[in-house]
Amino acid sequence: MSDPSAPLALTTHLALVSSISFGGFPTVLPDVRNFVVGTHGWMTDQDFANIFAMAQSIPGPNMILMMSFVGWKVWGFPGAVASAFATFGPPCTIYFASYRLWDRFRDAPWQQIVRLGLVPVIMGLVIASGTVMARAADASWPAVALTIAAAAIMLGTRLSPLWMLLAGAALGGLGVL
Amino acid sequence: MTDVAERQELEQAVPLAALFTAFLAVSLCGIGGGGGVVWARRVAVEKRRWLTDSEFADIVSLCQFMPGPNIVGIAVCVGAKMRGTIGAVAATSGFLVIPWVIGLSVGLLFLEYAHLTVLRNILGGIAATAAGLLIATGIRLLLPHRRRPAALLFAVLAFGLITFAKLPLLAVLFGLVPISIALAGIEKARAR
Repeated sequence: MSDPSAPLALTTHLALVSSISFGGFPTVLPDVRNFVVGTHGWMTDQDFANIFAMAQSIPGPNMILMMSFVGWKVWGFPGAVASAFATFGPPCTIYFASYRLWDRFRDAPWQQIVRLGLVPVIMGLVIASGTVMARAADASWPAVALTIAAAAIMLGTRLSPLWMLLAGAALGGLGVL
Repeated sequence: MTDVAERQELEQAVPLAALFTAFLAVSLCGIGGGGGVVWARRVAVEKRRWLTDSEFADIVSLCQFMPGPNIVGIAVCVGAKMRGTIGAVAATSGFLVIPWVIGLSVGLLFLEYAHLTVLRNILGGIAATAAGLLIATGIRLLLPHRRRPAALLFAVLAFGLITFAKLPLLAVLFGLVPISIALAGIEKARAR
């Protein structure tokens, strides 16, 4: 924090890792932890763990928020803003460019083949991340039942997921789970 | 040709403010990892009918392959699809600006009260529900492919390698996708 080049070093590093974070930002979290806790000592391991838990449980762009809290620790509000831009700026540019390219070949035969092969694998991954989340969240049988019920209601009805999340929050708050 | 014209007209008709508010809602409703996919599908496919399930699945797949926070990518791509560059900016700012300000404030407060048991229990209930919603969304997006045995096989493989074998995401992605695409190519060639 005493080093005036700290914000610049952090921003540059975040911009770099966000550009290579294939598979989502959580894949580069270990690297970010090494950088801010190990190499530079801007915060403790406990600080980093607390920020992670919090980022997981508040709505919104949670990985961008998490990096903003890291920036906040290093350089206050300007640090938070700079870290946010470094985290979403480069990937957004890449998303936009690749979508444009994908859309240009929308009706090409090769793209239909890529789509047929790609989509099922990705959906398997989406379902897997749901079950990985469930493993972390479902510490008891009622919690498992809640996860299954939420999935079934979502598949079978057009009820807004908001009601289910509220019901989940209420059951949790009442200590049923 | 009329089809293209009609499509263009429909795309022009989506106001920028609608893109902004839609992704603001997606952002505020998505709690925890992966929640964004649930809400983005709910809003863009079910409520506003901007895209079909398979167009949405395309975008999710594309974003999975790119670096960065994938949910933001969905905002960028849906915005770009509906209104080009300005649409992407509108959807992305809707997704980011207000939720970021709220998240930063709530986060600072939350760190103060993180030790309260009631708060932890409530978050636990939300997490369990959110996991179920994510599973259901994945199944929904897989449904258009249910008549292809190879599609189901690769979905199950991807699921199993992550959930049971606990392989890293990148290994699964780059291991399965080329084989899956090659098989789809062979199927297409045979069908011809």
